[in-house]
Amino acid sequence: MLDTNSILTTPGLATIKGMKDLADNIKLVQVRFDDPDARKNFSYAPGQFAEVSVFGVGESPFGLASSSERGDIVEFAVNRVGTLTEALFRLDVGDQIGLRGPLGNGFPMDRFKGKNIVILGGGIGGAPLRPIIQTILDHRGDYGKLTILWAARSPDLLVFTDEYDLWQQAPDVEMFLTVDKAPAGWPHEEGLITTLLEKINPSTDNTITITCGPPIMIKFAMMTLEKLGFQPDQNWVTLEAKMKCGIGKCGRCNMGGVYICTEGPVFCFSEVRQFLESFV
Amino acid sequence: MTFIEDQIRQTARKYLENDEVSCVIGYERDTRGRSRPVFIESVDQVDRLVWGPDCNLNLASYLHERKHSPGKDQPIPKTAVVLRPCDTRAINLLINEQQVARENVRIIGVTCEGSEINGSLRVDCEFCQERVPPLYDDLILTELPVEVPESADPYADINEMDQWTPEERLAFWTSEFDRCIRCYACRQACPGCYCFECVAEKLDPHWVSIALEVPEKMFFHVMRAYHLAGRCVGCGACEAVCPMDIPLGKLNRKVAKEILELFDYRTGDSIETHPPLVCFNPNERLNL
Amino acid sequence: MKVISQEQLNLWLADLLKQTVVVAPIEKHGKIQYQEINSISQIVWDFTRPELPPRNWVIPMTEPILFIEQGPTTVLKQPDLPHEKILFGLRPCDSRSFKVLDALFWDKEPADPQYARHRQALTLIGLACPEMWDSCFCTVVGGAPDDTEGLDILLTRIDDGFAVQAITEKGQALVSGLDLLQWSGVPADPSEARGLPKLHESAEWAAVFKDVFWKELSHACLSCRVCSFVCPTCRCYDVRDEVIAICPNGKVYERLRAWDTCTSMGYRRIAGGHNPRETQVKRLKNRFYCKFMYYPEDFGVLGCVGCGRCIDACPAGIDILEVVEKVDLKLAQAQI
Repeated sequence: MLDTNSILTTPGLATIKGMKDLADNIKLVQVRFDDPDARKNFSYAPGQFAEVSVFGVGESPFGLASSSERGDIVEFAVNRVGTLTEALFRLDVGDQIGLRGPLGNGFPMDRFKGKNIVILGGGIGGAPLRPIIQTILDHRGDYGKLTILWAARSPDLLVFTDEYDLWQQAPDVEMFLTVDKAPAGWPHEEGLITTLLEKINPSTDNTITITCGPPIMIKFAMMTLEKLGFQPDQNWVTLEAKMKCGIGKCGRCNMGGVYICTEGPVFCFSEVRQFLESFV
Repeated sequence: MTFIEDQIRQTARKYLENDEVSCVIGYERDTRGRSRPVFIESVDQVDRLVWGPDCNLNLASYLHERKHSPGKDQPIPKTAVVLRPCDTRAINLLINEQQVARENVRIIGVTCEGSEINGSLRVDCEFCQERVPPLYDDLILTELPVEVPESADPYADINEMDQWTPEERLAFWTSEFDRCIRCYACRQACPGCYCFECVAEKLDPHWVSIALEVPEKMFFHVMRAYHLAGRCVGCGACEAVCPMDIPLGKLNRKVAKEILELFDYRTGDSIETHPPLVCFNPNERLNL
Repeated sequence: MKVISQEQLNLWLADLLKQTVVVAPIEKHGKIQYQEINSISQIVWDFTRPELPPRNWVIPMTEPILFIEQGPTTVLKQPDLPHEKILFGLRPCDSRSFKVLDALFWDKEPADPQYARHRQALTLIGLACPEMWDSCFCTVVGGAPDDTEGLDILLTRIDDGFAVQAITEKGQALVSGLDLLQWSGVPADPSEARGLPKLHESAEWAAVFKDVFWKELSHACLSCRVCSFVCPTCRCYDVRDEVIAICPNGKVYERLRAWDTCTSMGYRRIAGGHNPRETQVKRLKNRFYCKFMYYPEDFGVLGCVGCGRCIDACPAGIDILEVVEKVDLKLAQAQI
């Protein structure tokens, strides 16, 4: 029978519990469903996303930036670039929004168990990678070495800066930061993430990589990984596309016959290479 | 092959053989016998070019890169284009508005016997005195001299409409726009409409609702008519492409008539003249 | 075979019209269109195919899919259930389009609630085509002028009335009360168009994706929305909230869904400006590949019913059948 009240098709109401500045023009929105059942039932995997309703404006997809296991506060990062994100920036703690989801496939964390993991995050692309880092840290013994390469155009665009210490304190975690153009006194790397990647030259042995960032960064990161000896099936990416419905109906996000919203947004790069259309 | 087609093909051949252009935009006939635009890029294809009264688009609208987006980083190609006299006025407009560079275009101007929409002569053509393009590189002649219609009021139907009460006008246009499906074919076929993002579709700020209902449709058409005030050349491409047969030419001619009366201005007379509503002339005095 | 006279059919329809909403082909603005009727005399019986497809009755051009009342707290309300409707006089290509849309909107989980609400309310009664007209190509995509796919009842014109085929239980129930006559004849076979190209399997289309002919084909494309808006199976849409009332305590919004299409320039442009389909060749190709490759692979049915409306409506003369033919030719060349 048809479920017209499914939270996949009709938004559930959620109240904003926190709005944190993550970086210049980037905020972390923290919400909790109003309905206790929805809180309980809304469980999601790293890499899944939700359609966020700002009532009076519309809906847009946002990658979930929190780990479902850490409680019922759902987090996502917002970069002020358009009408809807602009409207989100005007909201405050206590305001209500709508959430549909969880949508998309998410990362197959079980398949990553026992492997070394290299994470490449560019700009706000770091947000959907955060639940992976959180999951790995929460189950540290299940995964191998974790290498985090974090990039942004400038230091004020790096996201989750207040969590880096915590991440790096965990056993067997290495983290590297790079910015395109470093100001005087910048203690970390300067240059593109691909330059950093080449410099670190991670071992391909029993390793998978996970990349999220702008399409052009993904393209060059994949080229560099290939150069370093990684096979396409070792590399995982999460893609972005314009979406309206998030459930494979509206016909906006397909790359060839593949719907980013239902078959993705997480793909193994070997799959991406088979797409008829380029993701860039 | 007609007398006109022979000249069009010869001219196209000349341009392609000399490598003067990379493409000739003209018309061909499809397998169903209907005319359609064709982009000829090699000499062996020039015999596809045809001409007829049903060649009723304005091919100048294929010249703006912004609307047709050939892709980034591609140089603007040199193009020859087959145009009627009113169509060439659009070239003057586009050059004036810096959308087209004169040196990139070769104008194959056709002496005009009038164009047809759905088999009947366009209203504009019934009264048109301009049978030779005001701007051309190559002039295509007709076999027999074209009969220029006797001078008559080209705005007779508009004058009649002006006599209607506002209620009657609203009722007429509401009924016409009711069947609009907001497909934007009129805008896309228009040489004067080349905005990167049309107000009707702009999301930020969101001026017009996405609804396909009469208020939005009317807003779109009236807004477009205003944006074309003093910029519409009366080529009729909008009306020719409309799948719902809405008399868009009537709306545009109403505005053109006002512009003519207020500013003594006709679109596309030369490269130098600016549409009156997009420039400021301190000596301008309106006879209101 | 059961038959009904024109007179009896009219009486039956008049009776149905008293009980429910009937949509039928009528003449409006000089064009044949599927419209709600208020009298049987409005129905046009001899027509080729209506100007616009019937998808307006499952995905209206514009409709609210959610109401949002925002005051001290927010209340979300679903739209009212649509009225039961009979779509009468559907051409078989158009009735087939409901199967195509069902595959995506209903069969593929999660079902689209608003689509399902409309679809549940519909009874489809078809009128077989006596022939295939210019630009018709239903037989290329698996249909036929007298195809019953998607229909509850099919009527076929015979000399002095109509042959009646009840296809579904719903259709049988509807005709059960009718005094149908027994007829020993068979309706004349509709004349089928000849010399139509062969449509290749969806998987084969991948091989010609990068062919240069797409670029040549797309030169003339104006990037308008005509082909999609006259298409019975194109279903891309846009969603946007609009204010419908401002009250002392807050505002009421409707979440509007309206037709949109992958052929328009900014369809894929994201906030920030990136547009993965910024050239018209990419957009046009997406439409054809959606019909013939993506849709069948993702939803199990062809995305085209062969009505030919886009062929007649395209201002630039882009012809979907020429595309099918070209792909056939290219694939044949590749074989050699």
